[in-house]
Amino acid sequence: MERTKGILAKSELEEREISFTTIPFGPQHPASGHVHVSLKCDGEEVVDLTFHPGYLHRGFERLMEYRNHAQNSMLVDRINVLDPFSCEMGYANVVEIAAGIEAPQRGKFIRTIMAELGRIQSHITWLGIMCMALGLDSGTRIAWGDREKIIRLNELATGGRIYPCYFIPGGVRRDLPQGFKEEALKALDYTENQVKLYDNLVFYNTTFVMRLENVGILRPDDAIAMGITGPNLRASGVVADVRKDEPYDAYPYVNFKVVSLEKGDAYSRALCRRGEIIESISIIRQLLERIPEGDFRVKWGLTKKVAKGEAYFCCEAARGEFCYHMVSDGSERPYRVKVRAPSFSQNLAAFPYLAKGAYIADIPAIYWSLDSCPADMDR
Amino acid sequence: MDNEIISAIESKFPKEVLSSASEDKKILLTVKEIKFHQILSNLKDMGFDHLSDVALVDYINEGEFELIYHLWSHSKKIRAIVKTRIPRESPRIKSIIDLWIGAQIHEREGHEMFGVEFEGNPNLTPLFLEDWEELPPFRKDFDIREYVKREYYGEDKGYFG
Repeated sequence: MERTKGILAKSELEEREISFTTIPFGPQHPASGHVHVSLKCDGEEVVDLTFHPGYLHRGFERLMEYRNHAQNSMLVDRINVLDPFSCEMGYANVVEIAAGIEAPQRGKFIRTIMAELGRIQSHITWLGIMCMALGLDSGTRIAWGDREKIIRLNELATGGRIYPCYFIPGGVRRDLPQGFKEEALKALDYTENQVKLYDNLVFYNTTFVMRLENVGILRPDDAIAMGITGPNLRASGVVADVRKDEPYDAYPYVNFKVVSLEKGDAYSRALCRRGEIIESISIIRQLLERIPEGDFRVKWGLTKKVAKGEAYFCCEAARGEFCYHMVSDGSERPYRVKVRAPSFSQNLAAFPYLAKGAYIADIPAIYWSLDSCPADMDR
Repeated sequence: MDNEIISAIESKFPKEVLSSASEDKKILLTVKEIKFHQILSNLKDMGFDHLSDVALVDYINEGEFELIYHLWSHSKKIRAIVKTRIPRESPRIKSIIDLWIGAQIHEREGHEMFGVEFEGNPNLTPLFLEDWEELPPFRKDFDIREYVKREYYGEDKGYFG
């Protein structure tokens, strides 16, 4: 009797194992980006998942040890494709701290303006992908068309559309061109108008709201324990922003409020990013109004040696805390650089946590509501 | 406030804190490995609830790895950097996932890139590298140029060479 029971129990277990289906999510899935996730599903419900990162691992931290600071300030762009200015901002500042130099006021203002334009661009790109994940295709086209306005401003100021290579230790590579202010204000007015269109088309669209509301709820204490930062943390009700807490470059000179919501679901994360677009527009307008005349960089030979020591700098990228820890051994190259990229914790800690117990249909919505960049995660 | 935290830690662990400094809302502590877990636990109780990063540095000439824990307090708005060193030969250190669950992936990355064993971390499988059989690639004695030459431009790899 006992024996049969044992056998029965085993076969029941086997049957249950068989009833789990493994579904691959990515890397070729249109709504996943360059990550591969194996979802173990019980019917429609995800019970377990395995994350396979590494499709974009290029080993930047090691490559930087072989290059001098001028070369590195271009290399760091590639860490995050969608938000390169924040990567440059961090690296320029960390080298300045280590070398004991300070960028002139105009250089700092230009850097902050470009970083905020980068934030708007990143959030608009996110909006497009979010719409794509939910099947709102017109939202995708419109958002990515609007992104072009900001990209053209990048090109006007830096010469590069996607990878600007613009911030260097000691300031920026060149001054803003003639007529940049007018062009920038035009693009900002346009973007501000388009946000009203996004409201009708996307943010208050019934489909969008129903797909995102009460999906993937991230509680504040969980978010903090997992090391989540940026809009995802602020959407859970924690007011934390490096721009306010440890103001750098030109942020001490502007007024802005930190957008934060209470609920912590995918819809709050979307609304948080919408709010940040509006705030960034206001920040750039203030900076363009107050930008001082003068030098845009200090003369500092970029192949100069940096004194032995360590430096640490943290800035607020579009996705959260973006930090550099640099160790210098007294040569023109860094001895070690550690990059703290926000998507690392988002993708590898928060996403598996939120996906467990969710329905398969909600997986793209949860994944994109976190706005993770695989390039940023793998480095 | 920075100095209060430093003195509280120093009075509790007088022998284990090797050096301390504070500047502009930043605390820097260098501690001995033997009590680093208790020190981090104490810092967590003082309000350092966010583990921002775990960085590793390979000091090959001194034969040591340095581990750098970056902490941030959401309530006090202060950053703390805690450093500790472990020997380079068979490196092992206690895991801190019991304090911050987010440390799990940082330790996994540290294990993959530097070969440090984090005792108590249940999952240290490789994150980024596939079928890697060489030295951990972020160690200073791993030569990436030599590796690239051998792997992609070797004699039998006529395609690139």
